[in-house]
Amino acid sequence: MELKRVSDVVWEVPRTGGMRVPGRIFASDELMEVVLEDRSVEQVANVAHLPGIVEASMAMPDIHWGYGFPIGGVAAMRVSDGVVSPGGVGFDICCGVRLIASSFTEADFEARRDTVMGELDRRIPRGPGKGAIAPGSIVEEVLADGAAAAVRHGYGWPDDLDRCEERGTSKGAKPEEISDKALTRGRDQLGSLGAGNHFLEIQVVDEIVDPGAAEAFGLAEGMVVVMIHCGSRGLGHQTCTDHVRLMGDAMRRHGITVPDRQLACVPIGSDEGASYLGAMAAASNFAWANRHILAHETRQAFATAFGVSDTETGMRLVFDVAHNLAKIETHMIDGASTEVCVHRKGATRAFGPGHPDLPEDLQEWGQPVLVPGSMGTASWVLRGMEGNPAFGSAAHGAGRLMSRKKASRQAPGREVRAELEEAGISVRPLSVGLLSEEAPYAYKDVDVVADVCERANLAARVARVRPLGVVKG
Amino acid sequence: MTYRILSHTADSGIEATAPTLPDLIAVLAQGMFDLMAPVEPGEGAEQVEIEVTSGSVEDLVVDVLSDLLFESESTDLLFGDFVVAMTGATGARVAARGVPISKTGMTGPPIKAVTYHDLAVEERDDGWYGRVIFDV
Repeated sequence: MELKRVSDVVWEVPRTGGMRVPGRIFASDELMEVVLEDRSVEQVANVAHLPGIVEASMAMPDIHWGYGFPIGGVAAMRVSDGVVSPGGVGFDICCGVRLIASSFTEADFEARRDTVMGELDRRIPRGPGKGAIAPGSIVEEVLADGAAAAVRHGYGWPDDLDRCEERGTSKGAKPEEISDKALTRGRDQLGSLGAGNHFLEIQVVDEIVDPGAAEAFGLAEGMVVVMIHCGSRGLGHQTCTDHVRLMGDAMRRHGITVPDRQLACVPIGSDEGASYLGAMAAASNFAWANRHILAHETRQAFATAFGVSDTETGMRLVFDVAHNLAKIETHMIDGASTEVCVHRKGATRAFGPGHPDLPEDLQEWGQPVLVPGSMGTASWVLRGMEGNPAFGSAAHGAGRLMSRKKASRQAPGREVRAELEEAGISVRPLSVGLLSEEAPYAYKDVDVVADVCERANLAARVARVRPLGVVKG
Repeated sequence: MTYRILSHTADSGIEATAPTLPDLIAVLAQGMFDLMAPVEPGEGAEQVEIEVTSGSVEDLVVDVLSDLLFESESTDLLFGDFVVAMTGATGARVAARGVPISKTGMTGPPIKAVTYHDLAVEERDDGWYGRVIFDV
């Protein structure tokens, strides 16, 4: 597939065949070498076939091979005549990341390391299947109201919602569009971490690059923070499964064909489109509430471990942001203000300074963008930039470098755990054997990804955090 | 009959060949659950049965595997010993035996869903070929 270099960190996949727009990949030379080793460029080109797509089929610096959309894919379709594609959101609807500040230092954590890790190990449900913090009886309310419903039931603090994308409640949620199967899967999972690449990580702020933004976000060098990565669990997975299946038949009625069945889509304005968007919003509310409840339990764990009240932990929310979502937004397209459905599949919203959707205290600085690396390396806090060239989007992580099969053959899980512990990172996995698939060597260098985000004007670096402990499924 | 694990950057997948379509469905189901935690033949005490009718053989494979994932997550069982009987050209009844998740050691991350990406279900000269990618 042909690739043209447009600038320092921008590459174009020229329009060919049925592509309605070109592809545009934000990557350095170093990252592009890895991109070319899998089929992600082909996936960027495939997305460009979708009806109503505007400007370009884009990919963030952590791009890698997904199913349908590439991971790191961003595509905007005109609401007036474009399509919505569940594959552009993913099975884990509203998977995302939450970052919590604290009043603890690294020295505080070291003094109580085993106690803190023990509390989290005991309190955080994770792994496959059932087991959750919140009762299943509140699921319907959560589908309608998201994190706000969780607050009403005593989980978390009300002002957490100020620092949550969408204030933790997606507009237009239609709980009635969530199937009985999805409800069954999710009923016993509200307040659970899941498994795979999901995690709850205790970190320390290692380096401040932008002091003004860091202060506004509530971060300081040497501060212990907690990062939580998870999504809508089985409820979201089933919701996507249900709607991709429905859209397969509906596409034929709408006269749409796609180069990959996982790109199944329907017109945004169709009954099927409205049904999916309503279900997606409801499932995203489950995810907002899920991270909210896990954060609440984390506060309790720290409070118990340090013998203080949860207020005294100072564990205020820095931000919570999704990286698997489709949203109706207004952007300038060819000089005209246009309503589009922005699909971000493994890509984070990254609104710049002055955006009306940001809380007042962040207006000057832009939205926090959270980019986790891997267990043994760093993660980054970035901020949205004015003039972002990707519909206000940025990377969502380091991006995988190698397949799970290859990663699991490189070293056994117990060896990965031993190396992490030796590096001062406490690990509490539910399954030690699975650690090798998520080992640091399986991921790209997050420092490079963060650097390219800044060079590409996607998001600017604010602070680098490094891990002290991790809880995994 | 056996399956082969495919390499995929972010997710996982399997391909298999089998003499008949019901055999193919059985080996793909076995492969999907083996990716998470192998269940030894005869180990499962809990029985489950699903019946699926779809529009095509490709849809049938996705629908059967998806329904088995649903059954697994809603009952906290992992399945093996699959017995598949066709109920029509694109319909099947599948019985399986399950072991509680709490009694197994996970060898791979839980599978979130079955995708249509790179899906193949084909009758060839030497039998049936199938390929499925999963979201993990």
